[in-house]
Amino acid sequence: MLRYNFKYEWLLLIRNRWIQLLSILLLLLFGFAVYNGIQKVEARQNSIEAAVTELKTQETATLSVLDSLENGHKVSVSRWRLPSRPVVIGNSLARVVNMPAKSTAFIATGQSDLFTHYVKPTVTGDDLSMSYTEMTSPVQLLFGSFDLAFVIIYLLPLLIIAFSFNVLAAERESGTLKLLASQPIRIRTWVLQKLGLRFFWLILCISVTLLLVFVIFSFDFTANWTSLLVLIGYIIVYALFWFVLAFATNIWIRSSAKNAIALIGFWVLFVLLSPSILNQLSNSLYPMPSRTLMLNQMRTLKAEATKKQDKILDSYLRDHPEYAINDSTQTRNFYHKYMATQNLVKEELRPVVEKFETQLENQHQWAHTFSWLSPALTVQNALNDLAGTSEKDYQEFRSQSLEFAQQWRDFFLPFMFNNQKFAKSDYKNLPAFAYTYKEDATHLRILGLLGISFMIMLLVFLLKPMKQKISIV
Amino acid sequence: MIRINNLTKTYGDFTALDSLCLTVKEGEIYCLLGANGAGKTTTINLLLGFIKPTLGSAYINDINVVEKPKLTKNHLAYIPENLMLYPSLSAIENLDYFSGIANKKFKKSELEAFLVEAGLQTSAFHKSVAKYSKGMRQKVGIAIALAKDAKVLLLDEPTSGLDPKASNEFGQLLQKLRQKGVATLMATHDLFRAKEVATTIGIMKDGQLKQQWSVDTLSLKELEDSYLETMSYNSLQS
Amino acid sequence: MIVHTFRKEIKELWRDGRVRIAFIIVLFLTAIAVFISTNHYKNVNEQYVEASANEREVWDNQGEKNPHSAAHYGTYAFKPKYPLSLIDQGVDKYTGTSIFLEAHNRNEAQFIAASDQTGLARFGDLTPDFILLFIIPLLLILIAYNSITKEKENGTLTLLNSQGAVGWKIVFGKWMAIFFPVCILLSALFLITGLLLSNLPDFGVFSWASLFTLLVTYLIYYAIFINLILIISASVSKSGIALVLSLSVWILVCLVLPKAASNLAEYKYPYPTRQEFSENIAQDKKQGLDGHNPWSKAAKELEEQTLKKYGVDSLSQLPFNYDGYRMQKGEEHEAEIYFKHYNYLKTQYSNQNGIYQKLAAISPYLPVRFLSMAIAKTDYNTHWDFSDAAENYRIETQKFLNDHFAEASTYGEWGFKADADFWKQLPKFNYEPPSLSKIIQTNTSSIIIMLVWLVGSFTLLFFTTKSL
Repeated sequence: MLRYNFKYEWLLLIRNRWIQLLSILLLLLFGFAVYNGIQKVEARQNSIEAAVTELKTQETATLSVLDSLENGHKVSVSRWRLPSRPVVIGNSLARVVNMPAKSTAFIATGQSDLFTHYVKPTVTGDDLSMSYTEMTSPVQLLFGSFDLAFVIIYLLPLLIIAFSFNVLAAERESGTLKLLASQPIRIRTWVLQKLGLRFFWLILCISVTLLLVFVIFSFDFTANWTSLLVLIGYIIVYALFWFVLAFATNIWIRSSAKNAIALIGFWVLFVLLSPSILNQLSNSLYPMPSRTLMLNQMRTLKAEATKKQDKILDSYLRDHPEYAINDSTQTRNFYHKYMATQNLVKEELRPVVEKFETQLENQHQWAHTFSWLSPALTVQNALNDLAGTSEKDYQEFRSQSLEFAQQWRDFFLPFMFNNQKFAKSDYKNLPAFAYTYKEDATHLRILGLLGISFMIMLLVFLLKPMKQKISIV
Repeated sequence: MIRINNLTKTYGDFTALDSLCLTVKEGEIYCLLGANGAGKTTTINLLLGFIKPTLGSAYINDINVVEKPKLTKNHLAYIPENLMLYPSLSAIENLDYFSGIANKKFKKSELEAFLVEAGLQTSAFHKSVAKYSKGMRQKVGIAIALAKDAKVLLLDEPTSGLDPKASNEFGQLLQKLRQKGVATLMATHDLFRAKEVATTIGIMKDGQLKQQWSVDTLSLKELEDSYLETMSYNSLQS
Repeated sequence: MIVHTFRKEIKELWRDGRVRIAFIIVLFLTAIAVFISTNHYKNVNEQYVEASANEREVWDNQGEKNPHSAAHYGTYAFKPKYPLSLIDQGVDKYTGTSIFLEAHNRNEAQFIAASDQTGLARFGDLTPDFILLFIIPLLLILIAYNSITKEKENGTLTLLNSQGAVGWKIVFGKWMAIFFPVCILLSALFLITGLLLSNLPDFGVFSWASLFTLLVTYLIYYAIFINLILIISASVSKSGIALVLSLSVWILVCLVLPKAASNLAEYKYPYPTRQEFSENIAQDKKQGLDGHNPWSKAAKELEEQTLKKYGVDSLSQLPFNYDGYRMQKGEEHEAEIYFKHYNYLKTQYSNQNGIYQKLAAISPYLPVRFLSMAIAKTDYNTHWDFSDAAENYRIETQKFLNDHFAEASTYGEWGFKADADFWKQLPKFNYEPPSLSKIIQTNTSSIIIMLVWLVGSFTLLFFTTKSL
């Protein structure tokens, strides 16, 4: 039976122009989505590159000034902007701490439109005032982006529903089912084969059009073939889930219109409702403390600290005797007080900041635990991870960049407190930053989704036992 | 051969088929007459395993249809009242598909031979069946039966909606099959066609087989009279 | 005839279990959404009141200080939440809620709620606007997709025609039967919301007129949707096809086009990145007057001008503290730079808006989306308005502080400190959101597009169903 089903399903799909329509539609959708994704990634890479180039020119200029200074030439720079002052270097030559796009970043916009991809932590800057949100029109954030992930998560299920909702019901409604059922076959097996074949053709269409689009946009296959395979793997698992649902409704529900309504209902439930309900619940269960109230706290702390600046510096120096000893001049100026205060404020604010972090972590954990309730969510997370645009990636960037910011400050602190001049030779010792993506295995979740599909399948056979008839008449 | 023993189907209080017993031997054509809702189609659906009997049993070539529905379908062919095929496939493709999924594989020439035997004009073989008339579709149905080498043929109102010429052609086809030893059970309203093709005629009413004759024993007039009599007698009684 | 059809349709709909269940589910979801939003609204409002009061207290009690130090110390402007945000959250989640007002710098609103949430937030929230904009149209499709095709399939249409029924009258009866339940339900929901809001203790700027306008907007949105669904149902012969087509329209209109529009808008009129933006400003600032840098070229020019204007030879002879004066001039200059750069952003946004409006020609979702946010005062324009108001307040504050510095101290007196209760004299930041009539004015184009959709779809429906 499979051989004949295979041969004639193909003929029917071609003659009813399903394959052609599907291929064109997929090509258009994938093409537009990949194009958008690549635009975004290019803009992101360009802005990083521009910042790095800008820094380089500034560096050359600064280094030449330093050179002149060290050779005793006169320079036309005001006294407090002299690059021999470590604080000047630490502020004006702040590194472009950036998060370069993964080669797969175009797949999912994820949180990349919300967060910046580079920051320039300065020596006098504080962590809290460093803004990690990108300047994007909020309307854009509201509408979201037409990316590959959107096509896969939102539109692909709808294509599958259109492709499979009436496999059995249409036969019943057009009358061919009677003739079929008088053949020595099991209708359930026949439906399974038919849907399986449609699944096969759909996946083939997807793979071919996706490859075609990737070739058009000159995707680097040799370097990233694993990502491509993973992507297609995710698509297969997600599509399988929807086909299994279609199988279940086909077996259970008689009329094609009701099948369509049931499947659309599932789509609304899994793609639209459950993520938003989960989000709402995670916000209610782990509410974020108020940022505005945090501001109040921060300001009070800072105000108090500023009043006690002298004392703070004294105690700071007591804690760090190495600074006081090595300095021959023992002069203390504004920046010494400032840095010492800054440190203290940071320490005191830590519990407040941590509250946000733990709450976000809790929300994340909660969402992670329940994400299997929505296959759409599972796949979105997986795609974001694949693209390196998930919220975890940006959190990682935040923590890595803050770590670097501390490293940067720590590099200049001895210079400042020892009132030591920054020399050209110190330049090569400046800390450098390179972001490393943390690879987390999300395959397990996807496997879980595969498991859910099999469970639904099993349920169909358990709840609608073999002996129970599928109604023919 | 079709054997029906005491076959009963009830839906709640309603009895669709009441203790039906009949046998159709090889080379026989049994015509079931009766009004709408008399139980003719129910009988055929029971034989096809589309519905399950409440009581009794039925055999196709001595295989129990309730116990081994899949197996019995190897031996039977069925032409519903309105035989529908895949409109975007041609006659030959439809035939190939339906015999293919029944595990019968044929060469193209063999398939064409079946269609010729079923009386379909050669020019239509490769055309999409979307524009076929009911008669033409039925011929494809017969070809499917031929290809399957079915020993039992179940027909549900095959001649309703056919023009007299097509109806006549269909009758001749049935005779051909009869000569091959096929046992045919045909539900119909058409007294005239029944008298023409049948070897045995039964009249059903309210799920019961009321009368049964061998066709040689009565004329068309007698058949019509007793049909009307059965109908009125029963309706008076109820 | 219209009334007859209306009665028959209402009866049929009510008897249809599917419709009833769908109705109940939507009602249930709406109840949850309203409940959650109310809580959220209350929380945010409490935080807002507390934070504003706290911040003012911190400002008032900063003690003796140089006015310019106070300027650097700065203050915060907090964005209030408006009652109708209960119905439409708009872009609130994606705009910051507090702006730091300090000397020399115009800051962006900080603390975007979405950045404090998991990636889940990007799927959208279960809020009333989500239900109003997405789910109810879906419900309408469910109710109406087969309202004409089923008559064709059952053959009842021929029967109706043989009775001398007029196509468009039947359709209008059906239209009313679909529209009225939704209309009544929605009006009831809005009424409850209105009562709820007007009974909240600090309901502030809540106005029944706004609520009513919002209701009308949504009713028009649904009327357009019903028209589209009925046009489809009248033009095809099979219910299944009508359903698939209606759903495709929904997907295209509500999901695909807004996203495509957003990509197109960003591609054609991109915003600078945050870093680029601040770098550009820093570049401009470098070339101009810096209040802290008396040695720059611009500062020298100002010095000469001022001396000439007051006819004196040295800065100490001026009737005010020149340091404070220069500081204020520097501030004004910087404010101009910010004005220019923010105006660029606004131009980019209004260009983007142009793209949204062009695409609104194929998606009635877009004008309704924008209008709804605008009326609820949760749109981007309101955010701009707030941000501009905060900037004006910042400029005024700086002037207030610098003027005091200039007047109450003498030249070179950097150690000057203002009295501890001087700070209380600074007027409070009071933000008045745009009024309803102002909102309607700024959104005329959206309103016109929406009305064109309404009239256009009605006309098309009339002509497709004139003779069925």
